[in-house]
Amino acid sequence: MRKCIPPLLIVCLLSGFFLAYQLKIQTKNTSFNAISQRNNNLIAIIQDLEKESKNQENQIEAMRNQLNEMQNQNNQGKLQDLQIQLKKAKIDAGLTPVVGKGLFITLDDNKEGLKNAPTDDPNRYIVHSDHLLNLVNELKIGSAEAISINGQRLITTSEIRCVGSVIMVNMTRIAPPFEIQAIGSPKLMAESVTLGHLGILKTANYPISLEEHEEIIIPAYKGDLQFKYTSPQ
Amino acid sequence: MWFILPVLGLILGAYLGSTVTFQLPAIYLKYMSIAVLASLDSVFGGIKSIMEEKFDGTILLTGFFTNALLAALLTYLGDRLGVDLYYAAVFAFGVRLFQNLATIRHHFLINYRKKRSLRRGEKSE
Repeated sequence: MRKCIPPLLIVCLLSGFFLAYQLKIQTKNTSFNAISQRNNNLIAIIQDLEKESKNQENQIEAMRNQLNEMQNQNNQGKLQDLQIQLKKAKIDAGLTPVVGKGLFITLDDNKEGLKNAPTDDPNRYIVHSDHLLNLVNELKIGSAEAISINGQRLITTSEIRCVGSVIMVNMTRIAPPFEIQAIGSPKLMAESVTLGHLGILKTANYPISLEEHEEIIIPAYKGDLQFKYTSPQ
Repeated sequence: MWFILPVLGLILGAYLGSTVTFQLPAIYLKYMSIAVLASLDSVFGGIKSIMEEKFDGTILLTGFFTNALLAALLTYLGDRLGVDLYYAAVFAFGVRLFQNLATIRHHFLINYRKKRSLRRGEKSE
């Protein structure tokens, strides 16, 4: 009997250690999920980065305002011509808030439809990036001069893309309900849109409204504009 | 009172395990549970072999480590292949635990009955 004690002691020691340790981990882990923990970290990172980009956008805006002030000073002689040209170029580029007659379109997910058919594919009831893209294209066909989606001004470099469950415009996340504002001939734009994608969405029972407004204010593009590779020919 | 020492070892191990503050990464939790099962299996296997009076320290120790290693390897392989081979190890250890416990119980019962019948025999004489 003496001989069997040391090995058994070792095994008992190890198993006691493992048992206690595992028990400790398990009791600690009941409210802890590795994946959700990771997600929380990612969410925190995203929020941080978004805050940072917002700060920098504000900085850009402040600098632009400063620049504007400088450009509006001492307007004499030839400078005045240049300033008028600059102003026009800025409006073209979408760097100034603009106002005018136009359309106001709101579009939301078809929540009612999904509620009535819970087993159906939810993809058929939410607003996708293609919907927005098509609507914007049709607004442009209808001679829209300035367009914004949820306050994001569309300029030459603006994208409308699908990133997982959100839509990004100007590298900013936007979420339903979507408000598309467009300055231009309300009649032409409304015609182009209702004959096109808006009609399709309407028949698919998406909650949509289309209003003609006398005064639509579209904000300036807030992001950065840098041309690294492009130069005038 | 030879069995006191292993029990003390168990208690000491448990104390060490509960005081250790080392944080294991979440991926290795599976391996940890396998280790627990392997060591429990070895403990009951050892007790069983003592009851059957064919205890061998080397067999017990090598069995413990090779079983744990094999189980860890199986778990790892399962993770790579996307098959939960981990359950095979859990199942094997579980079945063996039950079998060992059953044999230990049998032996206890048989020993107890033998003693009782011996005592009765003495009394009746």
